[in-house]
Amino acid sequence: MKKKLKRLAFEPWGNYAIALAASVQCLNVEPWTRTATTPEVLELGVAASPDSACLSFKACTGHFLEAAREGVEYGVMVNSVGTCRLRYYRMLQQQLLEERGFKLFIFGLGYDGIKPPLIRHFDPRPGPFLKCCVRARAKVLAVDAIEKYAWHTRARELHRGDTTRVLNECLGDLERADSLLDIRRVKESIPVRFKKIAVKKDAIPLKIGLLGEATVLRNRFLNHNIEEILGGLGAEVFNFFLLGEEMKNIFGIGMWGRHSRWTLKRLAAPYLKSLVGGHALDSVANAIRCARGGYDGVVHVCPTGCMPEISVRPILRKISTDMDLPVLECSFDEHTSHLGVITRLEAFVDILNARRTRGNQTWKNRVISV
Amino acid sequence: MSGSKRTDYRSVAMPRALWYHLYPGMWEVFFRSLGLSVVVSAKTDRATVERAALISEPEHCLPLKLHDAHLHGVVGAADVVFIPRVLSTLTEHIACPKLGSLPDCAVAQFGDETPILTIDIDENKRSVHRSMLELGSELGFRRNATRAAAAAALSAMKTERNGLKTCIDREDDYFLILAHPYILHDAYVSAPVFGKLDAMNVKWLFPDYGCESIESGPIKWDACGIMHDALLRLDAGRCVGVIHLSAFNCGCDSIVMEVFRGLLWEKNIPYMTLVIDEHEGRAGLDTRLEAFVDSIGWRNTLDNAV
Repeated sequence: MKKKLKRLAFEPWGNYAIALAASVQCLNVEPWTRTATTPEVLELGVAASPDSACLSFKACTGHFLEAAREGVEYGVMVNSVGTCRLRYYRMLQQQLLEERGFKLFIFGLGYDGIKPPLIRHFDPRPGPFLKCCVRARAKVLAVDAIEKYAWHTRARELHRGDTTRVLNECLGDLERADSLLDIRRVKESIPVRFKKIAVKKDAIPLKIGLLGEATVLRNRFLNHNIEEILGGLGAEVFNFFLLGEEMKNIFGIGMWGRHSRWTLKRLAAPYLKSLVGGHALDSVANAIRCARGGYDGVVHVCPTGCMPEISVRPILRKISTDMDLPVLECSFDEHTSHLGVITRLEAFVDILNARRTRGNQTWKNRVISV
Repeated sequence: MSGSKRTDYRSVAMPRALWYHLYPGMWEVFFRSLGLSVVVSAKTDRATVERAALISEPEHCLPLKLHDAHLHGVVGAADVVFIPRVLSTLTEHIACPKLGSLPDCAVAQFGDETPILTIDIDENKRSVHRSMLELGSELGFRRNATRAAAAAALSAMKTERNGLKTCIDREDDYFLILAHPYILHDAYVSAPVFGKLDAMNVKWLFPDYGCESIESGPIKWDACGIMHDALLRLDAGRCVGVIHLSAFNCGCDSIVMEVFRGLLWEKNIPYMTLVIDEHEGRAGLDTRLEAFVDSIGWRNTLDNAV
């Protein structure tokens, strides 16, 4: 009989969980994750966490608690070296778990020496490890591609729900894809599948940019499924947190990409001359990009009290008045009402539509590039 | 703002909040020694708190809200408003991320009404002394004049700090107060607590925020790192309790409070957190302080009885 594999839990980071699951296979562990937080998990996290910690921390802590209850042996958590609270999450989560008598050990995903501790512990052979990394990267890029098609199609679909169905089918196939060849096949099938959805051909939907904190942008439970709500209201969204692009920043490669730190810094320079931390610089730079790129509006999404994101809000407001870009500020915590979010987004979309009919008509022949 | 223009500034204004308290008394003396007249906003009062609630970002922490209100009060009072970009006040440590965007936020909020003067303060790259020298040369002052001003400023800060109670070894049976310098030195926020403690005849001290360097620990935020360091060296025989004075929505404190709680649990020292917000309910504060001090008193008598 095959020996039972030990399990490794990691943060529910939206659909990227599929790709991250692929990356740990070479460590000879079974991945344990979800694509979104559940209400029960969040409740666990809220009960255990300090009250003014951010929603991302609570959700993630709850996730690890749930994993520990199910007897998962290991966890992995990013520990950044930045100024944000994220730096201490692993340490604190480990403390909270130990205080509750759980055995789950959380590895930090960061460098302290040559190898990250996780790699040092499991010590995979270089061959399969590299193969896994390549496969995970391919899956991340595939997830990005699928989502981009979904954002585009959802705003135009004739029958509500078609896009989400196709999106889920594609993600399911991607999850099952084991080899690079399979991943490529799934990737090639994406445009074909989305093209089959019946759409309003001549529609010019509103274009809304989603900026802000990465976890809330990507965890559809935490952001109350903002992408689908806006898509259902006939607005095409663009979520500016793309892990495919972010990976280049993490590993410090690709200075000239559209989303590289260097480009963002140059873009944000008139308004923000410091990195701040987290994705604050990205938010400012992407707001400017949206204003220049002819977006109808942006939604700034972050957990309540998020240190980096909240600290740049006055700057976003200034950009909004200077560049005539409507900005909706949405903070999320465990008390955020789902209906409240829907109402705010509906009102925002109504205002943007009214701006189109009343204001200048340049939106009819604009070209949006991101 | 071009380089030659800057020498025209005759007066500098600054808000008496947040970064101002990180280097107590230093900036005023620096600018005054350079021959500029200095306007510092009035001390925090009820009106400041009310203005903060009106004009500041609602999700900011209390000190940052107060900073916005103080800033609003000094805009237009001088030729230029000074707001440094504090990235680190202690080597191998970093400042709260919210301080990094302050000058940019000030430009966004008040840039149309006043020029903003800024300088990076990053102890990891250069000492605050050198930052002052650079600021002086940016303002167009001669090297000697800036050097004298910076020296005067540093010694003024030292005198100011020596006047404060800090962690000294001689005291026995004291309470350690943990708080960010900008809470500690803002009398409106902290005085009710200190007043109550004094009224109960309790001895209290706080960590030495003026220390040059500390051993590198797990907490990388500068003030929180100093607090953590002080707790590590705390003697349970001498310190009877720790009171953590925090501002509502302080991101740093939300994390370090849990760390401190774990640490003090192991050391068997009672720990209480008091969160202060912009609402005026002092009775709750008094009750909690009384209860904490009383229960520590009972703890000693009970221990002796056993």
